[in-house]
Amino acid sequence: MVYIEEAHPIDAWQDDDNIKAKIFLHSTRTQKERCDMAGTCLVKLGIEYPAIVDTIANSTERAYTAWPDRLYVIDRDGRVAYKSKPGPFGFHTEDVARTLQRLLPDAGSPPAPAVTRAEPAPDTAGQSVARN
Amino acid sequence: MRGWQKIVLAVLVVYGVLCAAAYDVMRQTPGRFGQIMEHVPDIAFLVLPFKPLWFHARAGTLHVGDAAPEFTLPTQDNKSTVELASFRGSRPVVLVFGSYT
Repeated sequence: MVYIEEAHPIDAWQDDDNIKAKIFLHSTRTQKERCDMAGTCLVKLGIEYPAIVDTIANSTERAYTAWPDRLYVIDRDGRVAYKSKPGPFGFHTEDVARTLQRLLPDAGSPPAPAVTRAEPAPDTAGQSVARN
Repeated sequence: MRGWQKIVLAVLVVYGVLCAAAYDVMRQTPGRFGQIMEHVPDIAFLVLPFKPLWFHARAGTLHVGDAAPEFTLPTQDNKSTVELASFRGSRPVVLVFGSYT
């Protein structure tokens, strides 16, 4: 996971689902705040794959046009093998599974997608959840 | 031009202007986009073609086959850093961009 700037912080565009779930969070202003927020996210959503945190200058998000959420697969040569459409509408984990099948043909059938959306409504930013 | 034709034209012009404005807002930085959208009524999502505008505005400049932009970022626990280039030659990498909210 590449943890980026918040999709619906309370100091910008709050989201009804977050209000119902009592998730009231500010934008992160320092690297430490963002790392801590990423930690909360991993715990609350049960994400078990590794997470790294974008710079406060949002350099990685800008390079990948990733906000609010997006999926990429990078192949062994360091090239973009899959780029999802912009999230939340374009966040489809089955496309990642198909790409990995193509890149790793000897790996056998992949398990069910590890990342699924918690909130499928198109007008909310989704949350990545890993299910084992 | 008859009266009703003028009305239809006016509605189309207003609709076009609103779409262009929405597209421009979608091209802003996420922080600015959020600050503006806070004040946009929900009806805008029903009236305007939000999804196609969004897909176009947020397409980005990367294409399949391009070299993935390099990054070196801290892990969540801040104890080490991960460099994208370190995976080259060994295995593909899935990048799941997102946030808690």
